[in-house]
Amino acid sequence: MAAGKKWLKWLPWAILALIAIGIFAQEGYESYRARKSAEKTFFAMDTVMNLTVYGEGAVMSYGDGTPTTGEEMLEMLVDEVERMEQMCSATREDSPVARLNREGSVNVPQDLKRLLEESWAMSVDTEGALDITAYPAVKAWGFTTGEYRMPDEAELSALAEKIDWRKVDMQGATVTLPEGMEIDLGAVAKGALGDELWLKLRLRLFESALLDLGQSSIVAMGSKPNGAPWRIGIQDPEGEGYLGVLELVDMAMGTSGSYQRYFEQDGVRYCHIIDPRTAAPVQNELESVTVVAPSCLLCDGLSTALFVMGLEEGTQFWRDHPELEFDVIFVDKTGAIYMTPGLKDTFTLAEGYEDRKVTVLE
Amino acid sequence: MNKNAKLVLGALLLVTVVCGAFLLLGGEDAQRPVARITVNGTIVNEIDLDSELLPKTFTYEGVGGFTNTIVAEKGRIRVESAGCPDQVCVHQGWISDGTVPIVCLPNKLIIEIKGGGESLDAANG
Repeated sequence: MAAGKKWLKWLPWAILALIAIGIFAQEGYESYRARKSAEKTFFAMDTVMNLTVYGEGAVMSYGDGTPTTGEEMLEMLVDEVERMEQMCSATREDSPVARLNREGSVNVPQDLKRLLEESWAMSVDTEGALDITAYPAVKAWGFTTGEYRMPDEAELSALAEKIDWRKVDMQGATVTLPEGMEIDLGAVAKGALGDELWLKLRLRLFESALLDLGQSSIVAMGSKPNGAPWRIGIQDPEGEGYLGVLELVDMAMGTSGSYQRYFEQDGVRYCHIIDPRTAAPVQNELESVTVVAPSCLLCDGLSTALFVMGLEEGTQFWRDHPELEFDVIFVDKTGAIYMTPGLKDTFTLAEGYEDRKVTVLE
Repeated sequence: MNKNAKLVLGALLLVTVVCGAFLLLGGEDAQRPVARITVNGTIVNEIDLDSELLPKTFTYEGVGGFTNTIVAEKGRIRVESAGCPDQVCVHQGWISDGTVPIVCLPNKLIIEIKGGGESLDAANG
C-alpha cells in the first residue's frame, strides 16, 4: 500500500518528463526536416543565382540504391544552368543563338527550338509586346555593354523596322533570320530554366526548394520544410525596402522593372526594357510588373510583355486571357499597387507601407 | 517519494528548462548581422554591422578592373559609387537583411548579409 502511494506521487513528474522528451523529439525532427541540404550562389546568365534545396530525394530505381542527396541534386541543377546558358546566351560566341545572329541560319537543338516556339506563342498572345527580335535595339542603346547612348529618330525607325518576331523562320530544326535581324532570349531563358530545374527536382521527388534565378525569376517549389508558404518580398522600386510580401506555395514568379537597369540623360530615365514597337526604352506609368503563375516561363515572358503594355492595356490582357491562369501585381510610378483578385489572400503590405493605395483589379 | 528520486527528477527538469532556453534563444536571431563581401567567389571582407566603428568606407577592385566604394553603417550597407558602366549596384541602394545581396556583375562583387535573422526567403527585383 505504501509503495503504491509513492508511485502516485511520481506520476506527475514522470508525465512532465515524458512531455519534455516529446517536445524535444518534435523539435529535433522539425530541425532535421528543415535543414538546408544544399545551397549555392553563383554567377550565371548575366546575373547571380541562388539555389537552395531542402531534404533529400527518393531512392531511384536505377543507380546505386541510395537516395539523391541535396548536394547531388544541386550539382545536377547547376549543370542544367550551365547547359541552358551555353544554349541561350547571345553574348557567348559559340552558343546556337550567337551563331544564328552571326550566320543568319543554323540548325538548333531541340530544346532551343521548343523555347523559340514557346516564345512565338507568347508573342502571338501579347500581339508582339514580347518580341525576341528586339536585340539590335538593346545593343544600339548600349544595354549589353553599359556604354549607354541615344540613337536618333532615323536610327530608331530603322531599328524598329528590324524588330518583328513573325520573320523568325523555323523549318524543322533550321532557324533562319532575315538580314540585319538578331534575337535575344533574355526575357524568356531564365523562365524556361526555372521550369526545367523545377521538373528535375520533381522527377527526383524533392519536395522543397527555392530557386532564385537572379530575382527576376523565382521558383518557390513546394512549401518551406516546416510546411509554411515561402515568403517573397516585393521590392519597393523607390525605396530601399519591401513594400509587400507574397506567400507562395509551389508557384513561380517573374518581375520586370525599370528601377535597376537604367540610365539617365537630361532628367529622363531610360530603362533596359525595349518597346518592340518603337525600338526605344519603355516609357509609361509603370515601375514594376510581377507575374505569379505555375509556369516560370510564362511569368518571365509575361512580366516583360505586361510592362511594355502598361497598366491599362496590361489589365485588359489579364481580363482577356483567363486561360493563362496568371496573377499580376503592377506598381506604378506614384507607388500605387494594382493586383488581380487571385493574390488578395497571398499578398500583404509590409510594415511601414500599410497606408499604400492598393487597388484590386476586376 | 524519496530524496534521491526528487533529486533526479529535479535535475531532469532543470536540464529540460535549460535546453529549452537554448533552443529558444540559440536560433539565428541571436547572431550579429555580418556583411560578407566576395570578389569572384573569394571573401575579401566581413563587416560586423553592429560594430561601434561604423560608418566606414571600403574600396575594392573587382575582376572588371573597376572599383566599388562601399559604405557600411550600423545595420545597413550599400555601394556608394562604382566604376562599372551599368551602375546597377549603386541603383540598388541600401540592404539591411540577408534577403537580397548587392551584386556588381562586371566586377563579380557580391555583398550579402549573414546572420541578420531574415523574415523573408527571397525577393524580386
